[in-house]
Amino acid sequence: MSATTRRRRDEREPVVITGLAAVSPLGATIDTIFDRLFAGVSGVREIEIDPRAKTAARFAAPVAEIPLPVGIEWDEFAKLDRLEQLCLAPVAGALADSGIDRSPNGPRIGLVLGLGAEHLKAWELDFLAAGRAVFEPRRDPTIVHRLAARTGITGPAVTAAAACASSGYALALARAWIDAGWVDACVAGGCDILSPTSIAAFYNLRALSRRADDPTKASRPFDRDRDGFVMGEGGACFVLERQAAAAARGARLRGELAGVGMSSDGVHMVTPSTNPAQAARAIAAALADAGVSPGELDYVNAHAAGTPVGDVAEAGAIRLACGDATEAIPVSSTKSMTGHLVSGAAAFEALACLGAIERQAVPPTVNLDEPDPACPLLHVPHVARPHRVVVAASNSFGFGGSNLCLVLRAA
Amino acid sequence: MNHQSSSRPAAPAGCGVAGHALVECRASALGELRGRAGPANAPPIPLRFLRHADEHTVVGLHAVLAVIAAGSSPPDLTRHAVIAAPCQSGRLAAARTLALLASDGAVSVSPHVVPQCSLHSVAGAVSVALGMHGPHLGVGGGPDALAEGLLAAATLLVHGDPECTAAWLVATDWEEEPALDAAGNPAGDPVCRALAVQLVPAGEAGDDGQPRHELSLAVRPLGRCESRPQLHQPAGGIVAFARALAMCRAGTALAAWAIDCPWGEIRLTARSITKARVREAA
Repeated sequence: MSATTRRRRDEREPVVITGLAAVSPLGATIDTIFDRLFAGVSGVREIEIDPRAKTAARFAAPVAEIPLPVGIEWDEFAKLDRLEQLCLAPVAGALADSGIDRSPNGPRIGLVLGLGAEHLKAWELDFLAAGRAVFEPRRDPTIVHRLAARTGITGPAVTAAAACASSGYALALARAWIDAGWVDACVAGGCDILSPTSIAAFYNLRALSRRADDPTKASRPFDRDRDGFVMGEGGACFVLERQAAAAARGARLRGELAGVGMSSDGVHMVTPSTNPAQAARAIAAALADAGVSPGELDYVNAHAAGTPVGDVAEAGAIRLACGDATEAIPVSSTKSMTGHLVSGAAAFEALACLGAIERQAVPPTVNLDEPDPACPLLHVPHVARPHRVVVAASNSFGFGGSNLCLVLRAA
Repeated sequence: MNHQSSSRPAAPAGCGVAGHALVECRASALGELRGRAGPANAPPIPLRFLRHADEHTVVGLHAVLAVIAAGSSPPDLTRHAVIAAPCQSGRLAAARTLALLASDGAVSVSPHVVPQCSLHSVAGAVSVALGMHGPHLGVGGGPDALAEGLLAAATLLVHGDPECTAAWLVATDWEEEPALDAAGNPAGDPVCRALAVQLVPAGEAGDDGQPRHELSLAVRPLGRCESRPQLHQPAGGIVAFARALAMCRAGTALAAWAIDCPWGEIRLTARSITKARVREAA
C-alpha cells in the first residue's frame, strides 16, 4: 500500500449511505428487490421488440413498471422519455429515502449520474418515435442537469461513463467530492434502458446469449455452458454523506462506502485482458482503501456477465488479488437474475452487497449448474447462503478495459 | 443537523498544467488523420487502431499525441488517467446506424457502435492506444462537458486514485454542431476539434530548473453561503480555454481565466516560478 493511500485512508471520515432507491427487473422497492434476489428469482423473459430491430435476441430483463417519483406530477413524468424516467425515479427516490434537508439553507448536495450512452439512447428513442433530433444541429442540456433542476440539487452535477462500470465510477466521484468538502451529500448511481439498437449491437458483437429456448436459463455466469450475457435495464441511486453528519441528523445508515479501486487494462476496446494484473490491482486498491485484508472480505458480488472470456478473466483477478483467502470468500453474480444493467449494473450490484449485509446472507448465482473449472471460486449456486456479511466487494468491468471495485461495509 | 461544512467555502483542488495541444480537423480530412501514425516522437498508434473510431476519438487521440510530442522526453504513461469530455460524440455514427436500422433492420447495426461511439469511448481509446493503466472515464457528453471534465479530472487527480501521476483531460466538440443528411453525412465541411491538457499534481508542472510560468488550475465548488465570483473572462469553450493556456504559458497573460459553471468556479492562473520555489512550496 502506498503512503498516499494510507494517509488518505487515515484522514478520511467515513462516508455512509443514507438513501437508497432502485428500479430493476426484480422490482422497484428495496424490500421487493432484496426478497427476489435472495429467493433466486429471474427477471429475464421474452420481450416485444421494435419490428425494425427484430433479431434473434428476443429476451431480456426489462423493468415492468417505473414508479412515479414523490413530488412529481404524473402528467409531467409522462412527458419524459423512458431513459429520463428511469433515471429520475431512483434519484428522487434516494433523496426521499434519505430524509435529507433539501431546503435552500440545507446541505450542499451534488449529483453524479453514471450513464454511458445517453445521447445514443435519446436519439434512438426520438427516431423510433418518428423524430429527427439526431440529424438536427442542436445541443440540449444533458439528463443530469435536468434531474438536478427538477430535484432542487444545486451542487455540482456530472455525467460519468465507463461503460458497464459507469455507475460505480459515479459513486467513486461522489465519495471524492465529499472527501474534498465540495459537497455535504451527493446523490450517485446510474441507470440504463433496453433499446433495439443496443440489443442489436451487442447481438452482432456476439456478446449476447443465444439461448432463446428458455430465457430464464440464458444468464448463467461462471457456468460451463454460458454463451454470453442477457441485457437488462434499470439501476440504483444512493445518497452519500459523512457518517458524523448523517448520525447527527438521525439518518438510517445503510452501509459505508469504505473503499474504491480503479484501473485500466490499456489493452483492447472490447475484450478484457487475459492478464488479470490490472483488474486485480483495482480490487487490491479498493481493499487497501477500505483498510481490510482479503481475509476480512465476506462476499464478492462479481461483475461476471456470463461471457466466456470475461468470467475467466475476473476469476483470475479475484484469485490474484485475494490469494489464499479466495477459497473462503463466497462469490456470486446477481446478473444471473437481473441480466446486465450496463450503465446501472455497478450501482445495482453495490445495492446487492448492501442486501447481503442487511440480510446476513449471500445471494445466489442462479443457473450455475456446472461451474466452469476455469473459474475456480467459492460459488453460491442456485440458492442464497446464510452467511455473516460485514464487508462486501462489488466488481465492475467495462469496455475499454475499465476496472472498478467498490468495498461496502456495515455502518 | 450537522452540516457545518456547508456554510464555509470548500478548499479548491489545485493541479499543475504540464502541457496542452489543440487539434482541429475538417470532416473531409478526418479519413487521412484516422490513418496517420502520429508524431515521430510520440508513441506509435497501433496499426488501424482508429479504423472504427468516432470522429471525436480521432482528434482526441491526436491531441494527446501532440502534447507528448511537444515534451522534452516521452513521459511514463502507465499510471496516467484519462478523462474525456466530448460534446455529443457518436452523433454521426448514431445517425448512420438509425438510418440503416430503418432500411435494413437489426443485422445492419454495427457491433462497433457501442464500444466506439459511447461517452466512454474517447477516454477508452486513449487509454488503450497508449497503454495507460490509471482510470479512464468519459464525462459530460453535452454542452457543459468542458466544465464537467475539468471537475472530474481534478477530482480523480487530487482526491481520487492515489497512484495516479497525471490526468489527461481530452475535451472534444464540433466547432458548430453540423446538420446531418438522411445517411448521417454532415452538411458542409465542419471542423472537429480536441483540446488535450496534461494535468499533474500541483508543483510538478516541470523539472527543468529554469524560471518558468507555472499554470495552475483550481476547481472549487462554491460554499452554500458564497456568492458567485465575478469572472474575468466568463464562459468559454475549448478554443477559448486553449487560447488562455497558450497565452499564460507564453507569459503574455498572467490574468486568471475562469469558466462559467453554475456550481462554482474553475480558474486558470499563471505565475512565474522557479524550481527552488516549487521545492519550497512542496
